[in-house]
Amino acid sequence: MKNGVPESLDEALETLPREIEPSRDLWSGIARAIVRTPRAAPGLGAGPWMAFAASAAALCLAAALLWTAIHGRAGAPGERLADEGAAAGRPAASFEEPQDARYLATRAALEKTFNERLARLDPATRAKIEADLAAIHQARDDIKKALIAQPDSTILQQLLASSLHDEFDLYDDVIRTTEPTLARI
Amino acid sequence: MGKAVGTVRHLHLTELSEEDAEPATVIAAAVEGDLAAFEALYRRFAPRIYGLCLRLTGQREAAEDCTQESFVAAWRGLGRFEKRARFSTWLQRIAIRTVLSRRRGLRASHEVAEPAAGLPDRPDPGGGPPALDLERAIAALPDGARDVLVLVGIYGYSHAEAAGALGVAEGTCKAQLHRARSLLSAALGPEES
Repeated sequence: MKNGVPESLDEALETLPREIEPSRDLWSGIARAIVRTPRAAPGLGAGPWMAFAASAAALCLAAALLWTAIHGRAGAPGERLADEGAAAGRPAASFEEPQDARYLATRAALEKTFNERLARLDPATRAKIEADLAAIHQARDDIKKALIAQPDSTILQQLLASSLHDEFDLYDDVIRTTEPTLARI
Repeated sequence: MGKAVGTVRHLHLTELSEEDAEPATVIAAAVEGDLAAFEALYRRFAPRIYGLCLRLTGQREAAEDCTQESFVAAWRGLGRFEKRARFSTWLQRIAIRTVLSRRRGLRASHEVAEPAAGLPDRPDPGGGPPALDLERAIAALPDGARDVLVLVGIYGYSHAEAAGALGVAEGTCKAQLHRARSLLSAALGPEES
């Protein structure tokens, strides 16, 4: 290097920055994907389970009831939180799973149906689904832990709501997918 | 991170200065499942990972995708992270694997990249190959030659480290570096030494 001027290719390469800021913040996409693909579910989300989930056919009454109980008027919990927060010009309100009797009864009915259907599946598929469910619960615990440090974080609130959706989607997929089989028994 | 673009940092992975010290407590918290800690790690290491992905892919959007996929893969694999290892090194290896996987996928779908799109346009310091010309010339290199040049020439990997990360023999790595230098010299004009 002479007077700040690279004299060789090696020196020119050394002047190139190793660190480059992305043109946009990539974290929100990463956070969403983390909740969708929790860490305790290696290998899930592809292969036999996806084919299994994709064959959904019948409507799940329990899931629909639960959906109604959670969503009330309209919109997903995370969307409502963001909208309400934006409208008020403040951080979104804290998301908490409802605890009223109707909701809890519906949730219990859904879980009961889910567990009955799950017990009829072959052991390998059942193990994958159980691991998937455990991963969703783990992700929710992770988010709750993070919320202790950042209680006003809108994205964490949305992620928490999202984890609930993932859990119900899983219940719904299993119940829907096992409908035709049960009908033939 | 907080490091200005253009700062020269050319160290072998085993030769680290104090400024490379890693936030051990934050890493430990992330390993335990603390999402806020993992976000802090993202803030700390994203420019390094994005820079690496951008150089390896030569395309901004692909680099952004690879950066996101790398951090998601890192979160999922944190349970397997060995505390003796350097987090940044582990993360970079994930990013390299992500880029290589994506490249295989793109070849299958015949996607065409735009060389050098999104690379930093830094002012020419007054001589030698202008940085942007050099970046474009690197982006135009064949994949194998570019991979080795980026890892060894810019990110300070040894041949053994680069060979391990890329899944090639060390001899192949040296040959690719020689090829890359020759192609770059031809593209930029005769090299003065």
